Amino acid sequence: MFQHAPSAVARLPLAARAEALPALGGGQLHEIHAAADDWAAALAFAFAAIDAAGRRPVMLVHAARQAVLSMQPYGEGLIGLGLDPARLVLVEARDGTGMLRAGLEGARCPGLAAVVLASWRRFPEYALTASRRLVLAAERSRVPVIMLRGDAEPRPSAAHQRWLVRSARASPREANAPGLPALDVELQRRRGGASGGRWRLEWNDQDGCYREARNTTATQSAGIHDTPLSGAVVHLSAVRAGLAGDVAASRAA
Amino acid sequence: MSPPAAPPETPFALVVRAGNALRLSAVGAPAVRAGLGVGMTLADARARCPTLQTLPHDPAADAGLLERLAAHMQRFTPMVATDPPDGLILDITGCAHLFGGEAVLAAQAVADAGLTTRHAFAAHAAAARALARHGRAGGDVRDLPVTALDLSADALSGLRRAGLATLGDLARRPMAGLAARFGADAVQRLRAILGEVTNPIAARQPVAAIGARARFAEPLAHTDAVLDVLEDLLVQTARQMEARAIGGRRFVVTLERSDGARRRLVVETGLPVRDAAVVMRLLRERIDSLSDPLDPGFGFDSLTLAVPRTQPLGARQIALDSGHGASVGDDSVAALIDRLATRLGPANICQLRPRDTHIPESAQQLVPATSAASPWPTAAGRPLRPLLLLDPPAAVTTITSFPDGPPQRFRWRGQVHVVCHAEGPERIAPEWWRRRDGHIPGQHGLTRDYYRVEDAEGRRFWLFRHGLYEERSDPLWYIHGLFA
Repeated sequence: MFQHAPSAVARLPLAARAEALPALGGGQLHEIHAAADDWAAALAFAFAAIDAAGRRPVMLVHAARQAVLSMQPYGEGLIGLGLDPARLVLVEARDGTGMLRAGLEGARCPGLAAVVLASWRRFPEYALTASRRLVLAAERSRVPVIMLRGDAEPRPSAAHQRWLVRSARASPREANAPGLPALDVELQRRRGGASGGRWRLEWNDQDGCYREARNTTATQSAGIHDTPLSGAVVHLSAVRAGLAGDVAASRAA
Repeated sequence: MSPPAAPPETPFALVVRAGNALRLSAVGAPAVRAGLGVGMTLADARARCPTLQTLPHDPAADAGLLERLAAHMQRFTPMVATDPPDGLILDITGCAHLFGGEAVLAAQAVADAGLTTRHAFAAHAAAARALARHGRAGGDVRDLPVTALDLSADALSGLRRAGLATLGDLARRPMAGLAARFGADAVQRLRAILGEVTNPIAARQPVAAIGARARFAEPLAHTDAVLDVLEDLLVQTARQMEARAIGGRRFVVTLERSDGARRRLVVETGLPVRDAAVVMRLLRERIDSLSDPLDPGFGFDSLTLAVPRTQPLGARQIALDSGHGASVGDDSVAALIDRLATRLGPANICQLRPRDTHIPESAQQLVPATSAASPWPTAAGRPLRPLLLLDPPAAVTTITSFPDGPPQRFRWRGQVHVVCHAEGPERIAPEWWRRRDGHIPGQHGLTRDYYRVEDAEGRRFWLFRHGLYEERSDPLWYIHGLFA
């Protein structure tokens, strides 16, 4: 997992690594919950988990009828997040079932970099069975499957991780201009690991990924480590490593 | 071959740009009578004949007409070859008697062509060609002028200076000397015209359409059995396509029911394929997504599979490490897109394509994912753009502290957002050049002032004021995008 990480992270003590943001790993299903106003933050968090240097396409499945807001991803904004818009394949399904079927087909296809499903509000078709199907398909193809849930109540599912993403106030630039993207993420559930961690992430333009904000103290509800290390650079670039990162992690373990 | 575009008595010519001059490339009969010829500059031609009408020469259209004529001439003989730019060679061996003799056949062919033509008969193609182009029908090839050899101007003037005017003169000389002076080509052509070497024609072969058909003695009433037969047909067409190194992009299945009803199933692929299993999966998808299911009724009488659209597809080596090669990944993604496009419709599988405009909502376009991708420019040095674009922009009510500034607070979806940070305006002018009367002041449309704002909860929005205050007194505010 730390194969592609900057050396600063490798030099951190072990305890700090345990607190590091868990990766949105390949071959897993992740749920990201967000309110409608925070939808862009949730989408950015999902896209940040995708290998930016790769050429494999990213599939974004949505159902127009379900959506609360009528909007579409904007190519120039994606470039700002380091993702080539030409890689994005937008699939519009008729309804929730169609979306799950298309997502399942995508999850079975190892040629994709990620499958992102955008769903809104009540989504009765997405239950334990449907999510387990997605998990099985993802495990086989090693493709990360990300289920975005907008304005939705969390329900039991087979997802590996459940995140809650909110926009956060960014450190302003000069002349009172809004700063770089910032978000608060909360790991609500995690299969086989501690949950409850909260992180304040800020976009780092130089590295082209989210990093934990330096000057804010992240609240640790897990309570394993009481004081966060000052200046800890917790990175998401390990997330970008995807499959290779996981292999490296299993070797390291 | 020039189509007559002017009344017959008006001198008419086609012109082509050669270097810096416009020259005549084809002239009509009245123009010839007026003293014009091919190769003359247009200025000279106009000086001699002020009433000359001209059109630009279109070689591609000429080639197309020649191809169509060649296809048409196949009613006289199966052996038709084109002699570009303006000749046809027909091998009528054993065909003439069907039309009542060579002369009748030629008259019919000339009438069919509907153009001013010359023709000649000879025992072989090169002689017939030389007679038609440089002599007259029924003449002797030995009386043809040396221009029939189609040599360069230097070589022709050399021949004339040596006193050799006809092919007969040349044929009496030793060939070795001719080859030494004018090249082996000249001798080859001379011997071809004289019939001393064979000069076969490359007859155009009609390309058979890719397809297969199955007829049943008894109607097939089970859809599964029909699909089995279909798979067999796909394997047959795959073999045909493999032999020609092509792959299909569009497959059309026609099912004919015993009561005369017909069903057509069409699947299209993004990349050329000839793998029966892949097409079969697409066809199953198509059958599953039919609004009314495939009803066999009393059974299907016959099945026709046609591949109307094909593309070159070479044989491909199977990778040794089957799995993670780039081509394998591409293939599987292409197959996935085809499957989804078959199920949901090609318009629902899209990709983003940049467009050269600064109006934000027009700067990108959704195109079907099966079309070719186009590269995006890099973001370096460009103003920040939102991750999501609202389509259409949502109207918001705002309170601004001063007229030309960003809003202090705005109400969107029933919620009041207090603006804490704002950046702007980024002024985007309307595309007046695309509007009718856009060049007239006041008619060019409304300018937009874009602001990037952050509210108290840390959400970043892209707002714009539609119109400057000098353009309209109460400009409306819209929210156009969401930043991460």
